[in-house]
Amino acid sequence: MTPYSRPASLPETLFLLAQGQPLLLAGGTDVYPATQAQWLTRPVIDISAVPELHGITRGPDGLRIGAGTTWAAIAAAALPPACNALQQAAQEVGGRQIQNAGTIGGNLCNASPAADGVPPLLVLDAVIELASPRGLRRVALADFLTGPRQTLRAADEVMVAVIVPDAALSGASHFVKLGARAYLVISIAMVAVRLLVVAGRVQQAALAVGACSAVARRLPGAEQALLGLAPQETAAAIDAAQVAAALAPLDDLRATAVYRAEAAAELLRRALATLAQDHAG
Amino acid sequence: MSDSERKTEPVSKRRRNFLIGSAMTGVVPVIGWAGQAQATTQAAPVDARAALNVALRVNGRLHQVQVDARMTLLDALREEIGLTGAKKGCDHGQCGACTVLVDGRRELACLTLAVAAQGREVVTIEGLAAPDGTLHPMQEAFVAQDAFQCGYCTPGQILSAISCVHEGHATSPDQVREYMSGNLCRCAAYPNIVAAVLQASQQMGD
Ligand SMILES: Cc1cc2nc3c(=O)[nH]c(=O)nc-3n(C[C@H](O)[C@H](O)[C@H](O)COP(=O)(O)OP(=O)(O)OC[C@H]3O[C@@H](n4cnc5c(N)ncnc54)[C@H](O)[C@@H]3O)c2cc1C
Ligand code: FES
Ligand code: FES
Repeated sequence: MTPYSRPASLPETLFLLAQGQPLLLAGGTDVYPATQAQWLTRPVIDISAVPELHGITRGPDGLRIGAGTTWAAIAAAALPPACNALQQAAQEVGGRQIQNAGTIGGNLCNASPAADGVPPLLVLDAVIELASPRGLRRVALADFLTGPRQTLRAADEVMVAVIVPDAALSGASHFVKLGARAYLVISIAMVAVRLLVVAGRVQQAALAVGACSAVARRLPGAEQALLGLAPQETAAAIDAAQVAAALAPLDDLRATAVYRAEAAAELLRRALATLAQDHAG
Repeated sequence: MSDSERKTEPVSKRRRNFLIGSAMTGVVPVIGWAGQAQATTQAAPVDARAALNVALRVNGRLHQVQVDARMTLLDALREEIGLTGAKKGCDHGQCGACTVLVDGRRELACLTLAVAAQGREVVTIEGLAAPDGTLHPMQEAFVAQDAFQCGYCTPGQILSAISCVHEGHATSPDQVREYMSGNLCRCAAYPNIVAAVLQASQQMGD
């Protein structure tokens, strides 16, 4: 196998991936900084020119976002308000140069606990489509991510697309990220919330928190507590103790567990308050 | 950049030839994107076939270079082609000093493989001025607004700023700050940089 190849189709990619142990490279923005020199002793398959991995389309099974779609393309797309959180996250992944190269598929396959793409996709009940010589399979994003830098992706699988089912495209969402400074930071905590409000009452609520547990999580207990409330009442209904118990956050160099738990609850309140304002105005 | 600087024989050529030579003896340090610090301490098997002939189009000129698959576009520009305008601030995508335009988009040359830039149009700071030396409006604006101190971040700032204007993200000071956040300035010339980008965006008419 040549040290570098840039396949022009998905079948070609799968064929190459089945040989030896090559490394898939999309935007390269996680691969380069995160690893040390050894990786490039493996052949590189550059998947940035594979057409099947590109584009955002609305089809019978919902919204389909190609795994190779860059953050800049996601930010610029015309998407329903349920995807606001995803588009806001897209604009906070590094600076513009990173957004021009970095892809949604790379963000998910790299599986950092601080990956900004994950909470917005969790509140959209996103499903991952993977291709291998055995065919296609779909896995819920919540199941796909199994631990820090661990996923259900098999070595010979390529992530083809992220699919948001139609049912989750209702309502509006919002994303809030906390870092040590305003720009270019790895999240200490980030949240995405999506509310469907019907006749002034919350009919569906989805809350997700990232960087506060080994894998970003939905908070079903806290979601339940919001149902039936007026949007303006939701922020006050966030119970910090319940959020902390659901997350079991981490101590690391960026923040302590106690700080993270408090921050997560506060970010949820702010995100809900912002959504409530939109409903009021 | 002066012509004499452009023609300087790249220093790394000798080192690289030496490494390819030592591949025959078995153990070769891995060099490339991870930086020279690792180069001397890490050993790994290297496939000698990894040397590739790559044609890179930079500032409208085609350059034939021999690189191994691991070399970044930044190293190829600086050490193989001799265009040292793109700076290596961090080599980790965090500072923006290596920003170049690839097919018109701003990208980080330290996070791009040289082989992956084949068939694409690369523009560096050396390619901005007209042949008669007339500066690009963004270069003019940086001079007029005194938008640098040491100048290390400046080539990356200017290329990033040109893209920022073309993207339509230079309509207000806040927007410029947001969309220029990938370019750090250790001298903190930020207020002047913002003023320069706004000035040039009017002259560029985008
Ligand atoms: C300065 C800087 C700032 C950053 N800031 C942020 C930030 O604020 N928030 C954030 O979340 N991330 C951030 N990142 C991380 C990174 O930019 C994102 O995670 C990005 O989305 C990764 O995408 P990529 O295409 O560059 O991935 P790559 O680096 O190309 O790949 C990442 C991993 O995924 C695998 N992979 C990629 N595509 C596929 C596919 N289709 N199928 C199977 N496997 C695949 C690769 O093999 C590799 O293991 C930052 C990075 C840098 C350098
Ligand atoms: S050298 Fe490329 S971003 Fe710092
Ligand atoms: S002018 Fe010195 S780093 Fe920006």
